[in-house]
Amino acid sequence: MEQTTVNRRPLLLSTTSSLFLVLWLIVAAFPFLWTVWGSFKVEADFFSRENWQLAITGLNTIGQTGSAFTGDGYQGAWIERDFWKAAWNTVIVTVSVTAISLVLGTLGGYALARSARRYTLWILITALVFRAMPHITLVSGYMLPFFEWNVWGALPTAIIVLVAINQPFALWMLHSFFLSIPKDLDESAMVDGCTRFQAFRQVVIPVMWPGVITTGLFSFLLAYNDFAVTAMLLNQDNQTMVPKIASFLGTVQTEGAVMYAVAAVVSATVPLFMLVMFFQRQIVSGLTAGAVKG
Amino acid sequence: MAEIRLNNVCKRWGKVSGVDNFDLHIKDEEFLVLLGPSGCGKSTTMRMIAGLEDVSSGEIWLGDRMVNKLEPKDRDVSMVFQSYGLYPNMTVYENIRFPIKVRKVPKELHHEQVMKAAEMVDLVDFLHRKPAELSGGQRQRVALGRAIVRKPTVFLMDEPLSNLDAKLRVSTRAEIKNLQFRLKTTTIYVTHDQIEAMTLADRVVVMNLGRIQQIATPTEIYDNPANTFVAGFIGNPAMNLIKGTIESGVFSAENIRIEGLPSQHSGPITLGFRAEDAELKEVQNAINAPVYAMELLGDSSMIALMVGGELINIKAPKDFRAEIGSQVSIGINPSHCHLFDAESGDRLSQDI
Repeated sequence: MEQTTVNRRPLLLSTTSSLFLVLWLIVAAFPFLWTVWGSFKVEADFFSRENWQLAITGLNTIGQTGSAFTGDGYQGAWIERDFWKAAWNTVIVTVSVTAISLVLGTLGGYALARSARRYTLWILITALVFRAMPHITLVSGYMLPFFEWNVWGALPTAIIVLVAINQPFALWMLHSFFLSIPKDLDESAMVDGCTRFQAFRQVVIPVMWPGVITTGLFSFLLAYNDFAVTAMLLNQDNQTMVPKIASFLGTVQTEGAVMYAVAAVVSATVPLFMLVMFFQRQIVSGLTAGAVKG
Repeated sequence: MAEIRLNNVCKRWGKVSGVDNFDLHIKDEEFLVLLGPSGCGKSTTMRMIAGLEDVSSGEIWLGDRMVNKLEPKDRDVSMVFQSYGLYPNMTVYENIRFPIKVRKVPKELHHEQVMKAAEMVDLVDFLHRKPAELSGGQRQRVALGRAIVRKPTVFLMDEPLSNLDAKLRVSTRAEIKNLQFRLKTTTIYVTHDQIEAMTLADRVVVMNLGRIQQIATPTEIYDNPANTFVAGFIGNPAMNLIKGTIESGVFSAENIRIEGLPSQHSGPITLGFRAEDAELKEVQNAINAPVYAMELLGDSSMIALMVGGELINIKAPKDFRAEIGSQVSIGINPSHCHLFDAESGDRLSQDI
């Protein structure tokens, strides 16, 4: 008798928690799965006003293309409307922003973490203030000078502004990672024959990898997902993916253009999944700091 | 291999003084221990020699080079840190090899030198492991191996044993002593543990509040402490120090009266003697006091007494027993007593 009650309780508990998890997963993943499904349909199905079940059965898709699934949305977005160009621009912007942020952030974060001066705290506090400001405030201030200097619309301009927005965060994050690395490590490297910079590059950075990767990923995501800066500062030719998707959504005159947006959204999301899965281990160890210590 | 000279070295942070007027000449091949309580400036002194800390004033000479402005890497020292400072991403082999690698020693010599160092610190079986897979004692030996892989002018050791457990500390202490004897490299060793200082040192520098209190051999420091700080810091238990007055060679305070002290001094004074220099017998030079506490140590018994308002310790034979509160009489030979100035704490010379 007693044994069954002992067994039953964990069973009940595990069923409930499993059910909850499944429910939560559905709620969380549904919008994305729904979008992926819908991206292979035509507009008449996925944006049907008469019957939502059309999105599942795909009657119009079959009628228009002869099959239940179609790649028309992808073809239209990537080839006809030059989404590949936006994707390429995104690659340039995100890689540049991440690289510049990490170079400046590791050097600056290391310097701030190892400096004994009192103003380091004020530099970090100032950085925090700029981090807290809405991105759009920076952009509106930049507009006029950029027009005057005739640099508005170019990719490097947007990269510089994104770096400026991202740098405080990268600096803070890397600074705290560097703090978790014992000072003895660089000091013994210096006594062993390194210059300060060699100690940084050969001894500290290898230990810092999880921190660098985690910070790099967050910088990447900021640049990748940014709308305010890229929409305001880039001209039509240089648009990155997110403002491009927004412009697809804005065009409702042509039948099917909205489907370009849906296909583009899915295209833009897939690389993120791959990225997170690829760097999963480093991110986990980076987020649970202390793993840095030897 | 060289001698080291520190000429009036000072370290100040703003108005705070860390090391004050440190003046010392360390002989070639000497094992010198900097001893003092935490915050006394001993580590700062060592870090200034290593170049990890700037010198506020004064000069540091390693051999015939004035090294004040040199980077740590150019000073030709090697250092063992309290937390070992091992590179966690490298194996033991790579850790030991690192100093010769960054100093651009020809590649073909690396393996031989690493193996030689690894043999000296008994690590040959662990070369492929990462520091995280080693015990505390083994990590300590990796740090030692990394220090000896090249032939530096000076070894600096900053409390290398304080992260080890008591048993390991004793054996590693012996290893360090033996290593230094074989390598004959001038060594500066920082510790707050007086036993390490007594066992390892050729000479001990006792420091307190950034100042040198005494520079002498371990025996000299134990037998003739230069002031009340050294007397109270060295020895276990530390020297008994009793405040009282002296008048024509007779010291007296509450519960104590000692005659025949070789001193012409008169007035307030501090008298010191070691626990083992007292004898249990009824004589004229004596302490007569009730027992405050008894501690049985195995090889001896320690009697605590309240004398002159201070708690003092007397070492008695191991079979001695007394009830708390019972009266005991302790005799002290005047020649075993040390006299210190009541104000400054400095030793008063006995023969005046």
